[in-house]
Amino acid sequence: MALKHSSAQWPWQGLLVLILLGLTIGLWIATKRVNYEWRWERIPQYFAYQEQDLQTAPFAGTVIKVNANGDTSQVTLQPQPGGQPAVITVETATLKVTDGAQVNADEEIGAQRGSWQVGPLTQGLWVTIWISFISGFFGLIIGLITGLCRISKNPALRGLSVLYIELIRGTPLLVQIFIFYFFIGTVLHLDRIVAGIGALALFVGAYTAEIIRAGIQSIPKGQSEAARSLGMSAAETMTHIVLPQAFKRVLPPLAGQFISLIKDSSLVSVIAITDLTKSGREIITSSFATFEIWFTVALLYLVVTSVLSQLLFWLERRFARSD
Amino acid sequence: MIKVNKLIKIFEGRGQIVRAVDDVSTQVAKAEVVVIIGPSGSGKSTFLRCLNGLEEFDDGQVIIDGIDIAGSKTNLNAVRREVGMVFQHFNLFPHKTVLENVTLAQRVVRKRKATEAHDKAMALLTKVGIAEKANEYPSRLSGGQQQRVAIARALAMDPKVMLFDEPTSALDPEMVGEVLDVMKQLAREGMTMAVVTHEMGFAREVAHRVLFMDAGKVLEDAPPAEFFTAPKEPRAQAFLKQVL
Ligand SMILES: Nc1ncnc2c1ncn2[C@@H]1O[C@H](COP(=O)(O)OP(=O)(O)OP(=O)(O)O)[C@@H](O)[C@H]1O
Ligand SMILES: [Mg+2]
Repeated sequence: MALKHSSAQWPWQGLLVLILLGLTIGLWIATKRVNYEWRWERIPQYFAYQEQDLQTAPFAGTVIKVNANGDTSQVTLQPQPGGQPAVITVETATLKVTDGAQVNADEEIGAQRGSWQVGPLTQGLWVTIWISFISGFFGLIIGLITGLCRISKNPALRGLSVLYIELIRGTPLLVQIFIFYFFIGTVLHLDRIVAGIGALALFVGAYTAEIIRAGIQSIPKGQSEAARSLGMSAAETMTHIVLPQAFKRVLPPLAGQFISLIKDSSLVSVIAITDLTKSGREIITSSFATFEIWFTVALLYLVVTSVLSQLLFWLERRFARSD
Repeated sequence: MIKVNKLIKIFEGRGQIVRAVDDVSTQVAKAEVVVIIGPSGSGKSTFLRCLNGLEEFDDGQVIIDGIDIAGSKTNLNAVRREVGMVFQHFNLFPHKTVLENVTLAQRVVRKRKATEAHDKAMALLTKVGIAEKANEYPSRLSGGQQQRVAIARALAMDPKVMLFDEPTSALDPEMVGEVLDVMKQLAREGMTMAVVTHEMGFAREVAHRVLFMDAGKVLEDAPPAEFFTAPKEPRAQAFLKQVL
Protein backbone atom coordinates (compact mmCIF):
# COMPACT_ATOMS: atom_id res chain seq x y z
CA MET A 1 0.00 0.00 0.00
CA ALA A 2 1.27 3.38 -0.91
CA LEU A 3 -0.78 5.39 1.58
CA LYS A 4 -0.46 5.01 5.28
CA HIS A 5 -3.62 5.79 7.23
CA SER A 6 -1.97 6.99 10.40
CA SER A 7 -4.96 9.16 11.27
CA ALA A 8 -7.04 6.03 11.94
CA GLN A 9 -4.69 4.93 14.72
CA TRP A 10 -5.46 7.19 17.67
CA PRO A 11 -9.05 6.08 18.47
CA TRP A 12 -7.75 2.55 18.94
CA GLN A 13 -4.85 3.68 21.08
CA GLY A 14 -7.35 5.62 23.18
CA LEU A 15 -9.49 2.52 23.51
CA LEU A 16 -6.43 0.54 24.65
CA VAL A 17 -5.74 3.07 27.39
CA LEU A 18 -9.41 2.97 28.45
CA ILE A 19 -9.44 -0.82 28.67
CA LEU A 20 -6.22 -0.90 30.73
CA LEU A 21 -7.62 1.79 33.01
CA GLY A 22 -10.85 -0.19 33.41
CA LEU A 23 -8.93 -3.33 34.32
CA THR A 24 -6.92 -1.48 36.97
CA ILE A 25 -10.03 0.02 38.50
CA GLY A 26 -11.73 -3.38 38.44
CA LEU A 27 -8.80 -4.90 40.26
CA TRP A 28 -8.85 -2.15 42.85
CA ILE A 29 -12.58 -2.56 43.46
CA ALA A 30 -12.21 -6.33 43.70
CA THR A 31 -9.60 -6.07 46.45
CA LYS A 32 -11.71 -3.49 48.28
CA ARG A 33 -14.63 -5.94 48.13
CA VAL A 34 -12.69 -8.66 49.99
CA ASN A 35 -11.37 -6.09 52.49
CA TYR A 36 -7.82 -6.97 51.68
CA GLU A 37 -5.25 -4.87 53.43
CA TRP A 38 -2.24 -4.30 51.23
CA ARG A 39 1.07 -4.45 53.02
CA TRP A 40 3.59 -3.80 50.27
CA GLU A 41 6.03 -2.38 52.79
CA ARG A 42 6.59 -5.88 54.12
CA ILE A 43 7.92 -7.18 50.81
CA PRO A 44 11.43 -5.63 50.57
CA GLN A 45 12.66 -7.43 53.70
CA TYR A 46 12.17 -10.75 51.89
CA PHE A 47 14.70 -9.71 49.28
CA ALA A 48 17.33 -8.54 51.76
CA TYR A 49 17.29 -7.45 55.37
CA GLN A 50 19.73 -6.11 57.88
CA GLU A 51 20.40 -8.23 60.93
CA GLN A 52 19.83 -6.71 64.35
CA ASP A 53 22.67 -7.09 66.81
CA LEU A 54 21.07 -6.99 70.25
CA GLN A 55 23.02 -4.97 72.84
CA THR A 56 22.53 -5.97 76.48
CA ALA A 57 23.72 -4.55 79.76
CA PRO A 58 27.02 -6.19 80.86
CA PHE A 59 26.06 -5.76 84.50
CA ALA A 60 23.25 -4.50 86.70
CA GLY A 61 23.31 -0.72 87.19
CA THR A 62 21.89 2.70 86.42
CA VAL A 63 21.78 4.61 83.16
CA ILE A 64 23.52 7.86 83.95
CA LYS A 65 23.60 9.41 80.51
CA VAL A 66 21.88 8.94 77.11
CA ASN A 67 23.63 10.89 74.41
CA ALA A 68 21.49 10.97 71.25
CA ASN A 69 23.77 11.58 68.32
CA GLY A 70 21.55 11.51 65.26
CA ASP A 71 20.90 7.89 64.22
CA THR A 72 22.99 6.41 66.99
CA SER A 73 22.94 6.95 70.76
CA GLN A 74 25.58 6.40 73.44
CA VAL A 75 24.22 4.98 76.68
CA THR A 76 26.50 5.31 79.71
CA LEU A 77 25.89 2.71 82.41
CA GLN A 78 27.13 3.00 86.00
CA PRO A 79 27.56 -0.36 87.77
CA GLN A 80 25.48 -0.78 90.92
CA PRO A 81 28.26 -1.52 93.44
CA GLY A 82 30.36 1.23 91.88
CA GLY A 83 33.26 1.04 89.45
CA GLN A 84 34.09 2.02 85.87
CA PRO A 85 31.03 3.10 83.83
CA ALA A 86 30.49 1.39 80.46
CA VAL A 87 29.39 3.07 77.20
CA ILE A 88 27.08 1.14 74.88
CA THR A 89 26.28 2.36 71.37
CA VAL A 90 22.87 1.47 69.86
CA GLU A 91 20.55 2.67 67.09
CA THR A 92 18.42 5.53 68.39
CA ALA A 93 15.28 3.92 66.95
CA THR A 94 15.87 0.75 68.95
CA LEU A 95 16.70 2.47 72.25
CA LYS A 96 14.91 0.70 75.11
CA VAL A 97 16.12 2.69 78.16
CA THR A 98 15.86 6.26 79.40
CA ASP A 99 18.13 8.39 81.54
CA GLY A 100 18.10 7.28 85.19
CA ALA A 101 16.58 3.88 84.51
CA GLN A 102 17.65 0.83 86.51
CA VAL A 103 18.73 -2.14 84.42
CA ASN A 104 19.50 -5.72 85.31
CA ALA A 105 22.44 -7.65 83.92
CA ASP A 106 21.71 -8.91 80.33
CA GLU A 107 18.74 -6.59 79.98
CA GLU A 108 18.24 -5.33 76.43
CA ILE A 109 19.38 -1.75 75.89
CA GLY A 110 18.91 -1.55 72.13
CA ALA A 111 20.30 -2.95 68.92
CA GLN A 112 23.06 -2.20 66.47
CA ARG A 113 22.80 -2.63 62.73
CA GLY A 114 24.32 -5.94 61.76
CA SER A 115 25.34 -7.19 58.34
CA TRP A 116 22.98 -7.42 55.35
CA GLN A 117 21.38 -10.80 54.81
CA VAL A 118 19.92 -12.28 51.63
CA GLY A 119 16.17 -12.77 51.96
CA PRO A 120 14.24 -15.89 50.98
CA LEU A 121 12.85 -14.37 47.77
CA THR A 122 16.34 -13.64 46.49
CA GLN A 123 17.50 -17.10 47.51
CA GLY A 124 14.53 -18.72 45.77
CA LEU A 125 15.10 -16.63 42.65
CA TRP A 126 18.72 -17.70 42.56
CA VAL A 127 17.76 -21.38 42.94
CA THR A 128 15.25 -21.03 40.11
CA ILE A 129 17.85 -19.41 37.86
CA TRP A 130 20.61 -21.91 38.36
CA ILE A 131 18.33 -24.96 38.29
CA SER A 132 16.91 -23.71 34.99
CA PHE A 133 20.36 -22.95 33.64
CA ILE A 134 21.87 -26.32 34.50
CA SER A 135 18.88 -28.34 33.31
CA GLY A 136 18.74 -26.18 30.16
CA PHE A 137 22.41 -26.88 29.49
CA PHE A 138 22.01 -30.65 29.90
CA GLY A 139 18.70 -30.52 28.03
CA LEU A 140 20.48 -28.92 25.09
CA ILE A 141 23.10 -31.66 25.03
CA ILE A 142 20.49 -34.41 25.38
CA GLY A 143 18.40 -32.74 22.69
CA LEU A 144 21.33 -32.45 20.30
CA ILE A 145 22.29 -36.11 20.70
CA THR A 146 18.68 -37.30 20.50
CA GLY A 147 17.97 -35.06 17.51
CA LEU A 148 20.95 -36.55 15.66
CA CYS A 149 19.89 -40.10 16.61
CA ARG A 150 16.38 -39.31 15.40
CA ILE A 151 17.64 -38.72 11.83
CA SER A 152 20.33 -41.41 11.87
CA LYS A 153 20.13 -44.41 9.55
CA ASN A 154 20.58 -46.83 12.46
CA PRO A 155 17.14 -48.28 13.41
CA ALA A 156 18.15 -48.92 17.05
CA LEU A 157 19.20 -45.30 17.63
CA ARG A 158 16.16 -44.02 15.78
CA GLY A 159 13.77 -46.27 17.70
CA LEU A 160 15.21 -45.34 21.08
CA SER A 161 15.07 -41.63 20.37
CA VAL A 162 11.46 -41.83 19.13
CA LEU A 163 10.48 -43.81 22.24
CA TYR A 164 12.12 -41.27 24.55
CA ILE A 165 10.57 -38.28 22.80
CA GLU A 166 7.09 -39.83 22.79
CA LEU A 167 7.31 -40.88 26.46
CA ILE A 168 8.29 -37.39 27.59
CA ARG A 169 5.91 -35.51 25.34
CA GLY A 170 3.00 -37.77 26.20
CA THR A 171 3.13 -37.42 29.99
CA PRO A 172 2.78 -34.40 32.31
CA LEU A 173 5.97 -32.86 33.68
CA LEU A 174 4.57 -33.01 37.22
CA VAL A 175 4.19 -36.79 36.95
CA GLN A 176 7.68 -37.08 35.48
CA ILE A 177 9.13 -35.16 38.42
CA PHE A 178 7.35 -37.46 40.88
CA ILE A 179 8.56 -40.58 39.06
CA PHE A 180 12.08 -39.23 38.84
CA TYR A 181 12.17 -38.32 42.53
CA PHE A 182 10.25 -41.17 44.15
CA PHE A 183 11.22 -44.02 41.83
CA ILE A 184 14.50 -43.31 40.05
CA GLY A 185 15.71 -41.10 42.88
CA THR A 186 15.11 -43.82 45.44
CA VAL A 187 16.66 -46.57 43.35
CA LEU A 188 19.78 -44.55 42.54
CA HIS A 189 19.88 -42.64 45.86
CA LEU A 190 19.63 -39.28 44.13
CA ASP A 191 19.57 -36.01 45.96
CA ARG A 192 16.29 -34.09 45.46
CA ILE A 193 18.14 -31.33 43.59
CA VAL A 194 19.72 -33.86 41.23
CA ALA A 195 16.36 -35.53 40.70
CA GLY A 196 14.71 -32.19 39.97
CA ILE A 197 17.40 -31.12 37.52
CA GLY A 198 17.37 -34.57 35.90
CA ALA A 199 13.62 -34.50 35.36
CA LEU A 200 13.72 -30.98 33.91
CA ALA A 201 16.71 -31.77 31.67
CA LEU A 202 15.02 -34.88 30.27
CA PHE A 203 11.85 -32.87 29.73
CA VAL A 204 13.45 -30.04 27.72
CA GLY A 205 15.75 -32.55 26.02
CA ALA A 206 12.81 -34.22 24.31
CA TYR A 207 11.38 -30.95 22.99
CA THR A 208 14.83 -29.65 22.04
CA ALA A 209 15.47 -32.86 20.09
CA GLU A 210 12.43 -32.25 17.90
CA ILE A 211 13.42 -28.61 17.37
CA ILE A 212 16.96 -29.59 16.40
CA ARG A 213 15.77 -32.38 14.10
CA ALA A 214 13.48 -29.96 12.28
CA GLY A 215 16.32 -27.43 12.08
CA ILE A 216 18.73 -29.92 10.55
CA GLN A 217 16.15 -31.11 8.06
CA SER A 218 15.41 -27.53 7.04
CA ILE A 219 18.95 -27.06 5.67
CA PRO A 220 18.85 -27.68 1.90
CA LYS A 221 20.35 -30.96 0.72
CA GLY A 222 22.68 -29.08 -1.61
CA GLN A 223 24.64 -27.83 1.41
CA SER A 224 25.69 -31.25 2.61
CA GLU A 225 26.19 -32.43 -0.98
CA ALA A 226 28.58 -29.56 -1.60
CA ALA A 227 30.47 -30.36 1.59
CA ARG A 228 30.63 -34.09 0.84
CA SER A 229 31.77 -33.41 -2.72
CA LEU A 230 34.76 -31.54 -1.24
CA GLY A 231 35.73 -34.69 0.64
CA MET A 232 34.35 -33.83 4.06
CA SER A 233 33.14 -36.76 6.15
CA ALA A 234 29.56 -36.95 7.40
CA ALA A 235 30.64 -35.75 10.85
CA GLU A 236 32.69 -32.84 9.45
CA THR A 237 29.77 -31.84 7.25
CA MET A 238 27.49 -31.87 10.29
CA THR A 239 29.76 -29.77 12.51
CA HIS A 240 31.02 -27.25 9.96
CA ILE A 241 28.12 -26.86 7.57
CA VAL A 242 24.78 -28.18 8.75
CA LEU A 243 24.70 -27.54 12.51
CA PRO A 244 25.89 -23.91 12.40
CA GLN A 245 23.19 -23.07 9.87
CA ALA A 246 20.57 -25.14 11.67
CA PHE A 247 21.46 -23.53 14.99
CA LYS A 248 20.72 -20.11 13.59
CA ARG A 249 17.30 -21.26 12.44
CA VAL A 250 16.34 -23.03 15.66
CA LEU A 251 17.38 -20.16 17.91
CA PRO A 252 13.86 -18.62 18.11
CA PRO A 253 12.04 -21.89 18.96
CA LEU A 254 14.87 -22.86 21.33
CA ALA A 255 14.53 -19.50 23.06
CA GLY A 256 10.82 -20.19 23.56
CA GLN A 257 11.66 -23.60 24.97
CA PHE A 258 14.11 -22.21 27.51
CA ILE A 259 11.73 -19.50 28.58
CA SER A 260 9.14 -22.22 29.17
CA LEU A 261 11.73 -24.14 31.14
CA ILE A 262 12.17 -21.28 33.61
CA LYS A 263 8.43 -21.26 34.20
CA ASP A 264 8.14 -25.06 34.29
CA SER A 265 10.93 -25.23 36.85
CA SER A 266 8.39 -23.95 39.41
CA LEU A 267 7.04 -27.51 39.48
CA VAL A 268 10.13 -28.80 41.27
CA SER A 269 8.79 -27.07 44.37
CA VAL A 270 6.59 -30.17 44.83
CA ILE A 271 9.64 -32.22 45.77
CA ALA A 272 10.61 -29.63 48.38
CA ILE A 273 13.25 -27.78 46.41
CA THR A 274 13.16 -24.21 47.68
CA ASP A 275 12.91 -22.38 44.38
CA LEU A 276 11.17 -19.07 43.85
CA THR A 277 7.68 -20.59 44.03
CA LYS A 278 8.39 -22.61 47.16
CA SER A 279 9.99 -19.56 48.83
CA GLY A 280 6.85 -17.58 48.06
CA ARG A 281 4.67 -20.24 49.67
CA GLU A 282 6.88 -20.36 52.74
CA ILE A 283 6.88 -16.59 53.19
CA ILE A 284 3.09 -16.48 52.99
CA THR A 285 2.71 -18.83 55.95
CA SER A 286 4.53 -16.31 58.14
CA SER A 287 3.68 -12.95 56.59
CA PHE A 288 0.04 -13.31 55.47
CA ALA A 289 0.81 -10.94 52.60
CA THR A 290 -0.58 -13.49 50.14
CA PHE A 291 -1.50 -11.23 47.26
CA GLU A 292 1.66 -9.15 47.41
CA ILE A 293 3.92 -12.20 47.52
CA TRP A 294 2.28 -13.92 44.56
CA PHE A 295 2.32 -10.74 42.52
CA THR A 296 5.99 -10.25 43.41
CA VAL A 297 6.84 -13.85 42.53
CA ALA A 298 5.05 -13.48 39.20
CA LEU A 299 6.92 -10.25 38.50
CA LEU A 300 10.26 -11.91 39.27
CA TYR A 301 9.53 -14.73 36.80
CA LEU A 302 8.53 -12.10 34.26
CA VAL A 303 11.79 -10.20 34.77
CA VAL A 304 13.94 -13.31 34.35
CA THR A 305 12.10 -14.49 31.23
CA SER A 306 12.19 -11.05 29.61
CA VAL A 307 15.89 -10.63 30.27
CA LEU A 308 16.53 -14.05 28.73
CA SER A 309 14.37 -13.30 25.74
CA GLN A 310 16.19 -9.99 25.15
CA LEU A 311 19.50 -11.80 25.39
CA LEU A 312 18.48 -14.41 22.84
CA PHE A 313 17.03 -11.75 20.59
CA TRP A 314 20.38 -9.99 20.62
CA LEU A 315 22.15 -13.29 19.84
CA GLU A 316 19.79 -13.87 16.92
CA ARG A 317 20.59 -10.45 15.49
CA ARG A 318 24.30 -11.18 15.69
CA PHE A 319 23.86 -14.45 13.83
CA ALA A 320 21.83 -12.73 11.14
CA ARG A 321 24.99 -10.99 9.93
CA SER A 322 25.45 -13.25 6.92
CA ASP A 323 21.94 -12.85 5.45
CA MET B 1 41.19 -40.73 -15.65
CA ILE B 2 37.51 -41.68 -15.39
CA LYS B 3 36.34 -45.10 -16.44
CA VAL B 4 32.68 -46.09 -16.30
CA ASN B 5 31.61 -49.67 -16.79
CA LYS B 6 28.00 -50.77 -17.32
CA LEU B 7 26.73 -48.21 -14.81
CA ILE B 8 23.12 -48.67 -13.67
CA LYS B 9 21.15 -46.42 -11.35
CA ILE B 10 17.49 -47.16 -10.66
CA PHE B 11 15.14 -44.91 -8.71
CA GLU B 12 12.17 -46.63 -7.10
CA GLY B 13 9.37 -44.71 -5.55
CA ARG B 14 5.60 -44.61 -5.45
CA GLY B 15 5.33 -47.74 -7.57
CA GLN B 16 7.42 -46.17 -10.31
CA ILE B 17 10.75 -47.52 -11.41
CA VAL B 18 13.01 -45.07 -13.22
CA ARG B 19 16.16 -46.35 -14.86
CA ALA B 20 17.92 -42.98 -14.53
CA VAL B 21 21.26 -44.35 -15.74
CA ASP B 22 20.88 -47.44 -17.83
CA ASP B 23 23.99 -49.44 -18.66
CA VAL B 24 26.38 -46.62 -19.44
CA SER B 25 30.00 -47.36 -20.30
CA THR B 26 32.45 -44.64 -21.25
CA GLN B 27 35.74 -43.09 -20.28
CA VAL B 28 37.34 -39.72 -19.96
CA ALA B 29 41.06 -39.42 -20.58
CA LYS B 30 43.40 -37.11 -18.71
CA ALA B 31 42.98 -33.46 -19.81
CA GLU B 32 39.95 -34.40 -21.86
CA VAL B 33 36.79 -32.27 -21.80
CA VAL B 34 33.57 -34.24 -22.24
CA VAL B 35 30.26 -32.42 -22.58
CA ILE B 36 27.07 -34.32 -21.78
CA ILE B 37 23.85 -33.10 -23.35
CA GLY B 38 20.36 -34.47 -23.55
CA PRO B 39 16.72 -33.67 -22.85
CA SER B 40 15.45 -32.97 -19.34
CA GLY B 41 15.13 -36.08 -17.20
CA SER B 42 17.49 -38.09 -19.40
CA GLY B 43 19.75 -38.87 -16.43
CA LYS B 44 22.64 -36.45 -17.01
CA SER B 45 22.75 -35.16 -13.43
CA THR B 46 22.32 -38.63 -11.99
CA PHE B 47 25.17 -39.93 -14.14
CA LEU B 48 27.45 -37.09 -13.04
CA ARG B 49 26.55 -37.59 -9.37
CA CYS B 50 27.42 -41.29 -9.64
CA LEU B 51 30.94 -40.29 -10.69
CA ASN B 52 31.79 -38.94 -7.21
CA GLY B 53 29.50 -41.24 -5.29
CA LEU B 54 26.95 -38.59 -4.31
CA GLU B 55 24.45 -41.02 -5.78
CA GLU B 56 24.84 -44.68 -4.83
CA PHE B 57 24.53 -46.69 -8.00
CA ASP B 58 22.94 -50.11 -8.30
CA ASP B 59 25.34 -51.87 -10.59
CA GLY B 60 28.48 -51.37 -12.63
CA GLN B 61 31.80 -49.73 -11.90
CA VAL B 62 33.20 -46.22 -11.67
CA ILE B 63 36.97 -45.99 -11.61
CA ILE B 64 38.60 -42.64 -10.84
CA ASP B 65 42.34 -42.46 -11.42
CA GLY B 66 42.61 -46.23 -10.98
CA ILE B 67 40.42 -46.43 -7.85
CA ASP B 68 37.10 -48.28 -7.90
CA ILE B 69 34.90 -45.86 -5.95
CA ALA B 70 32.47 -48.59 -4.88
CA GLY B 71 35.26 -50.91 -3.79
CA SER B 72 34.97 -52.35 -0.31
CA LYS B 73 38.34 -50.89 0.75
CA THR B 74 37.85 -47.52 -0.89
CA ASN B 75 37.63 -44.42 1.26
CA LEU B 76 35.03 -42.46 -0.65
CA ASN B 77 35.98 -39.21 1.11
CA ALA B 78 39.54 -39.61 -0.15
CA VAL B 79 38.26 -40.10 -3.70
CA ARG B 80 35.99 -37.06 -3.50
CA ARG B 81 38.94 -34.83 -2.62
CA GLU B 82 40.27 -35.53 -6.09
CA VAL B 83 36.95 -34.87 -7.82
CA GLY B 84 35.67 -31.30 -7.74
CA MET B 85 32.00 -30.64 -8.37
CA VAL B 86 30.14 -27.49 -9.37
CA PHE B 87 26.37 -27.38 -8.95
CA GLN B 88 23.59 -25.66 -10.83
CA HIS B 89 22.57 -23.72 -7.71
CA PHE B 90 26.16 -22.98 -6.53
CA ASN B 91 25.50 -24.35 -3.02
CA LEU B 92 27.93 -21.93 -1.39
CA PHE B 93 27.94 -22.03 2.40
CA PRO B 94 25.85 -18.99 3.34
CA HIS B 95 27.18 -18.70 6.89
CA LYS B 96 30.77 -18.35 5.72
CA THR B 97 32.44 -15.53 3.83
CA VAL B 98 33.68 -16.06 0.29
CA LEU B 99 37.19 -16.57 1.62
CA GLU B 100 36.04 -19.04 4.27
CA ASN B 101 34.08 -20.95 1.64
CA VAL B 102 37.32 -21.52 -0.22
CA THR B 103 39.55 -22.20 2.79
CA LEU B 104 37.25 -24.42 4.89
CA ALA B 105 37.74 -27.75 3.10
CA GLN B 106 41.46 -27.04 2.63
CA ARG B 107 41.80 -26.78 6.39
CA VAL B 108 39.40 -29.57 7.36
CA VAL B 109 40.09 -32.10 4.62
CA ARG B 110 43.57 -31.31 3.33
CA LYS B 111 44.75 -30.22 6.81
CA ARG B 112 46.54 -27.20 5.39
CA LYS B 113 47.86 -24.41 7.60
CA ALA B 114 45.78 -21.24 7.84
CA THR B 115 48.24 -19.10 5.88
CA GLU B 116 48.72 -21.70 3.17
CA ALA B 117 44.95 -22.12 2.75
CA HIS B 118 44.49 -18.35 2.72
CA ASP B 119 47.15 -17.78 0.07
CA LYS B 120 45.78 -20.57 -2.09
CA ALA B 121 42.25 -19.20 -1.74
CA MET B 122 43.29 -15.67 -2.66
CA ALA B 123 45.23 -16.92 -5.67
CA LEU B 124 42.19 -18.86 -6.91
CA LEU B 125 39.78 -16.00 -6.22
CA THR B 126 42.07 -13.75 -8.22
CA LYS B 127 42.10 -16.32 -10.98
CA VAL B 128 38.29 -16.38 -11.20
CA GLY B 129 38.32 -12.58 -10.94
CA ILE B 130 36.59 -12.08 -7.61
CA ALA B 131 39.36 -11.44 -5.08
CA GLU B 132 37.88 -8.08 -4.08
CA LYS B 133 34.78 -9.83 -2.67
CA ALA B 134 36.79 -12.19 -0.44
CA ASN B 135 35.28 -10.89 2.78
CA GLU B 136 31.67 -10.63 1.60
CA TYR B 137 29.02 -13.17 2.42
CA PRO B 138 27.72 -15.14 -0.59
CA SER B 139 24.26 -13.58 -0.37
CA ARG B 140 25.78 -10.23 -1.38
CA LEU B 141 27.10 -11.66 -4.66
CA SER B 142 25.44 -11.99 -8.04
CA GLY B 143 24.76 -15.46 -9.41
CA GLY B 144 27.72 -15.33 -11.77
CA GLN B 145 30.04 -14.24 -8.97
CA GLN B 146 28.71 -16.99 -6.70
CA GLN B 147 29.30 -19.63 -9.33
CA ARG B 148 32.87 -18.44 -9.85
CA VAL B 149 33.44 -18.69 -6.09
CA ALA B 150 32.02 -22.22 -6.22
CA ILE B 151 34.54 -23.10 -8.93
CA ALA B 152 37.37 -21.64 -6.86
CA ARG B 153 36.13 -23.62 -3.84
CA ALA B 154 36.32 -26.86 -5.82
CA LEU B 155 39.71 -26.01 -7.34
CA ALA B 156 41.17 -25.30 -3.90
CA MET B 157 41.29 -29.04 -3.27
CA ASP B 158 43.62 -29.50 -6.27
CA PRO B 159 41.23 -31.96 -7.90
CA LYS B 160 42.29 -34.23 -10.74
CA VAL B 161 38.81 -34.10 -12.26
CA MET B 162 36.11 -31.42 -12.33
CA LEU B 163 32.41 -32.21 -12.72
CA PHE B 164 30.01 -29.44 -13.75
CA ASP B 165 26.24 -29.94 -13.52
CA GLU B 166 24.57 -27.20 -15.58
CA PRO B 167 26.77 -24.50 -14.04
CA THR B 168 25.14 -21.68 -16.02
CA SER B 169 21.47 -22.75 -16.06
CA ALA B 170 20.50 -20.72 -13.02
CA LEU B 171 22.24 -17.56 -14.22
CA ASP B 172 20.91 -14.45 -15.92
CA PRO B 173 22.06 -14.43 -19.56
CA GLU B 174 24.54 -11.60 -19.07
CA MET B 175 26.42 -13.62 -16.43
CA VAL B 176 26.74 -16.85 -18.37
CA GLY B 177 29.81 -15.61 -20.24
CA GLU B 178 31.94 -14.86 -17.16
CA VAL B 179 31.44 -18.39 -15.83
CA LEU B 180 32.04 -20.05 -19.20
CA ASP B 181 35.25 -18.03 -19.57
CA VAL B 182 36.59 -19.47 -16.33
CA MET B 183 35.68 -22.98 -17.51
CA LYS B 184 37.35 -22.43 -20.87
CA GLN B 185 40.51 -21.31 -19.17
CA LEU B 186 40.46 -24.43 -16.99
CA ALA B 187 40.07 -26.60 -20.09
CA ARG B 188 43.03 -24.86 -21.75
CA GLU B 189 45.14 -25.54 -18.68
CA GLY B 190 44.54 -29.25 -19.12
CA MET B 191 41.90 -29.98 -16.46
CA THR B 192 39.97 -33.20 -16.96
CA MET B 193 36.33 -32.13 -17.13
CA ALA B 194 32.87 -33.66 -17.44
CA VAL B 195 30.31 -30.94 -18.12
CA VAL B 196 26.52 -31.21 -18.30
CA THR B 197 25.31 -28.11 -20.09
CA HIS B 198 22.85 -26.63 -22.52
CA GLU B 199 25.48 -24.21 -23.84
CA MET B 200 26.02 -25.61 -27.32
CA GLY B 201 28.56 -22.90 -28.12
CA PHE B 202 30.72 -24.04 -25.22
CA ALA B 203 30.42 -27.66 -26.33
CA ARG B 204 31.44 -26.81 -29.87
CA GLU B 205 34.36 -24.67 -28.82
CA VAL B 206 35.85 -26.54 -25.88
CA ALA B 207 34.66 -30.16 -25.84
CA HIS B 208 36.79 -32.97 -27.15
CA ARG B 209 33.78 -35.27 -27.15
CA VAL B 210 30.04 -34.82 -26.81
CA LEU B 211 27.88 -37.50 -25.16
CA PHE B 212 24.18 -37.42 -25.98
CA MET B 213 21.99 -39.04 -23.32
CA ASP B 214 18.36 -40.00 -23.48
CA ALA B 215 16.35 -42.16 -21.06
CA GLY B 216 19.45 -43.10 -19.12
CA LYS B 217 21.43 -44.31 -22.11
CA VAL B 218 24.34 -42.73 -23.97
CA LEU B 219 23.07 -42.77 -27.53
CA GLU B 220 25.85 -40.89 -29.19
CA ASP B 221 29.52 -40.29 -28.42
CA ALA B 222 31.34 -38.16 -30.97
CA PRO B 223 33.63 -35.15 -31.41
CA PRO B 224 31.60 -31.93 -31.51
CA ALA B 225 32.33 -31.18 -35.15
CA GLU B 226 30.88 -34.53 -36.09
CA PHE B 227 28.01 -34.48 -33.58
CA PHE B 228 26.69 -31.03 -34.44
CA THR B 229 26.91 -31.44 -38.20
CA ALA B 230 25.94 -35.05 -38.70
CA PRO B 231 24.30 -36.72 -35.70
CA LYS B 232 23.57 -40.36 -36.38
CA GLU B 233 20.75 -40.99 -33.90
CA PRO B 234 17.29 -39.76 -34.85
CA ARG B 235 16.65 -38.66 -31.22
CA ALA B 236 19.85 -36.63 -31.21
CA GLN B 237 18.81 -35.06 -34.51
CA ALA B 238 15.42 -34.13 -33.03
CA PHE B 239 17.05 -32.71 -29.89
CA LEU B 240 19.50 -30.61 -31.85
CA LYS B 241 16.75 -29.26 -34.06
CA GLN B 242 14.99 -28.04 -30.90
CA VAL B 243 17.92 -26.37 -29.21
CA LEU B 244 19.84 -24.87 -32.13
N1 LIG C 1 16.04 -38.64 -5.98
C1 LIG C 1 15.29 -39.13 -6.98
N2 LIG C 1 14.25 -39.95 -6.71
C2 LIG C 1 13.50 -40.46 -7.71
N3 LIG C 1 13.70 -40.20 -9.00
C3 LIG C 1 14.71 -39.39 -9.35
C4 LIG C 1 15.55 -38.80 -8.35
N4 LIG C 1 16.47 -38.04 -8.98
C5 LIG C 1 16.23 -38.12 -10.29
N5 LIG C 1 15.18 -38.93 -10.52
C6 LIG C 1 14.64 -39.31 -11.84
O1 LIG C 1 15.70 -39.79 -12.61
C7 LIG C 1 15.59 -39.32 -13.93
C8 LIG C 1 16.85 -38.62 -14.33
O2 LIG C 1 16.96 -37.44 -13.59
P1 LIG C 1 18.16 -36.43 -13.78
O3 LIG C 1 18.00 -35.36 -12.76
O4 LIG C 1 19.44 -37.18 -13.77
O5 LIG C 1 17.90 -35.81 -15.21
P2 LIG C 1 18.67 -34.66 -15.97
O6 LIG C 1 19.05 -35.22 -17.29
O7 LIG C 1 19.72 -34.10 -15.13
O8 LIG C 1 17.51 -33.61 -16.18
P3 LIG C 1 17.60 -32.00 -16.16
O9 LIG C 1 18.12 -31.59 -17.50
O10 LIG C 1 16.16 -31.60 -15.98
O11 LIG C 1 18.45 -31.63 -15.02
C9 LIG C 1 14.37 -38.44 -14.00
O12 LIG C 1 13.31 -39.20 -14.51
C10 LIG C 1 14.11 -38.09 -12.56
O13 LIG C 1 12.74 -37.95 -12.35
MG1 LIG D 1 20.04 -32.20 -14.07
